[in-house]
Amino acid sequence: MATSVPTLDYWAPLVCLIAFVILIAVTYLFRSRGRKQYKKGTAQTEIFLSGEEPPDTEERHIRAYNIYWGFFQGLKRYYDPTIKAHSGIINDYIIWLIALMSITAVILTIVSLT
Amino acid sequence: MSLNSFKRALWVYHLNTGSCNGCDIEILAALTPRYDIERFGMVLVGSPRHADVLLVTGPVTRQMEPRLKRVYEQTPDPKLVIVVGACGSEGGVFYESYNLVGPVDQIIPVDVYVPGCPPRPEAIIEAVVKAWVKLEKAAQRVA
Repeated sequence: MATSVPTLDYWAPLVCLIAFVILIAVTYLFRSRGRKQYKKGTAQTEIFLSGEEPPDTEERHIRAYNIYWGFFQGLKRYYDPTIKAHSGIINDYIIWLIALMSITAVILTIVSLT
Repeated sequence: MSLNSFKRALWVYHLNTGSCNGCDIEILAALTPRYDIERFGMVLVGSPRHADVLLVTGPVTRQMEPRLKRVYEQTPDPKLVIVVGACGSEGGVFYESYNLVGPVDQIIPVDVYVPGCPPRPEAIIEAVVKAWVKLEKAAQRVA
């Protein structure tokens, strides 16, 4: 019978911990080499956009939807009618539910009779 | 003179505020092998947040005024401002033009002027050195 023996393989916690500590140390080293003269709360800590005024954080946020743009574009013919069906009106959803339940009931009845 | 104000070589950000590009070409010439300021560690950087020196060319058009101010404010202290060329220094051929708000010293404080239309790369390099010495003297007076 095979037994589980703890080893220092790829996912061993000790290896992950050591890698994490090394990563933190390297990050700290890089960070400590940076400039410390920036005055907080001034333009010196704002992002640089070629001299343009940086927009508010909300406005420069890139939505996760953008990552799936190609996916949605490729399945546009499927998504367009599906999105339209999601009207947000509860009456529409109840109608969908009743319609699907009716169709299911009819199919089950036919199957049970045959 | 000991140079203590900066811990490393100067990094330079170049801002064109409406120049004809003559001065900008001379700044680029200072980077080329004939003058090669990079052998001193000086490089042109892409952000004023990484820079010690602002090299400003051009007479400052109305559109560039807020950009110039913002770039100056975004440069960490201590910083040096060097105006390269006649236009940035006193308007040059664009003097009293309707769409100018410059020269540069009307918008931000300037440490060193480099006259010329355009100035030679040697003059630009010397201006950086002069600006550094000026900063060192100011730091020594404070200390």
